[in-house]
Amino acid sequence: MGTFGRMTRWGVATLAALVVVGLGLAALVKVLGVQAGVQAQELSPGKTGGPSVSLVSAPLPSITRGQPGNVDLRFHIASGYHINSNQPAEEFMIPTALHMDATTDIVIGKINYPAGLDVAFEFAPEQKLSVYSGNFTVGVTVRPLHTVLPGKYAMRGSLKYQACDNRSCYPPKQLPVEFEVRVVKAPVAHRHRPPQSPHAHT
Amino acid sequence: MKRTFLVLVAILAGVTLMIFAAKKIKPTAANNSVGALRGAPAPDFELKTLDGKTLKLSDLRGKAVLLNFWATWCAPCKIETPWIVELQNQYGAQGLQVVGVSMDDASDGEDVKKFASEMHMNYPILRGTEDVGNSYGGLEFLPTTYFVGRDGNVTGRVLGLKGREDMEENVKRALATKDSTQRAQK
Repeated sequence: MGTFGRMTRWGVATLAALVVVGLGLAALVKVLGVQAGVQAQELSPGKTGGPSVSLVSAPLPSITRGQPGNVDLRFHIASGYHINSNQPAEEFMIPTALHMDATTDIVIGKINYPAGLDVAFEFAPEQKLSVYSGNFTVGVTVRPLHTVLPGKYAMRGSLKYQACDNRSCYPPKQLPVEFEVRVVKAPVAHRHRPPQSPHAHT
Repeated sequence: MKRTFLVLVAILAGVTLMIFAAKKIKPTAANNSVGALRGAPAPDFELKTLDGKTLKLSDLRGKAVLLNFWATWCAPCKIETPWIVELQNQYGAQGLQVVGVSMDDASDGEDVKKFASEMHMNYPILRGTEDVGNSYGGLEFLPTTYFVGRDGNVTGRVLGLKGREDMEENVKRALATKDSTQRAQK
């Protein structure tokens, strides 16, 4: 009975200690969360994250050297925000634009942007802006030189964008963009040879 | 003995975390909703206007100031600009001075001039700097508008695009203040 009583007391003490630690951690997490979201919530209740754009997928395409190939880069815009399309409707708007760093082995060709969505926002119901929201894909044409050795090559650049929500706009940002391409040799051409007569060399 | 020690350490750690959280929460509460600067002297600055002159905020003491941070690339800023032009016309005689601070890049000077001309901005436009933005809370987004009373203290702010009524209400509140320093000098 004595041993059992002592064990119960220890159990209660341990439980109390865990509760105190838990309360402390919960308070800390709440405070840090509140601090991060103060300005955003004051502006748009219910919105928590910032106006971020991220590169969600970049396939690893195999591109034959000497020939052009396309790489589709898929981007995601945080919920509740939009960015200008590559062809904004207004004069002073900052277009979304991908700039790729020049490389010595692979030529960067045309960059293809999707058409923007013509959307009217709360702040200007009669005026439509050309924007991207949610996910959008930018295509990059690349052409490895004939002389490039087969293998993986890293391509780097940045996506310039300027995000807004329904009531405000955020300063322009640059998202670093990096993807790889696999350069392969051109497949050996199989010449069609007519079947030879077994008597040809006789 | 060892278990006693562990329990005590755990309790101590929990209490420490709670005290730390409580200390952190104090300034956050002060920052919330009304704005950290409300009631405090508006941070002073001296910036260049579009035509190269210098304007110092504290030189406007005695006037109510609508301090509008904006940029050419900000669509909501473009929507509210005509309201601000109207407010300057309507309340200028009563002592309102609108000051626009463009947060465009320094290289976009021509765009700012063009925008100001197209929008018929009838008040001084200053070229903002990061330091000035930081002194007004970092300006995470635009438009952000502060209202400064005749005594040089912040009377309110509007974050993002709200409405002309919101701005006008804040202008009236700023105009209703008295410049205590001038009275003391008399």
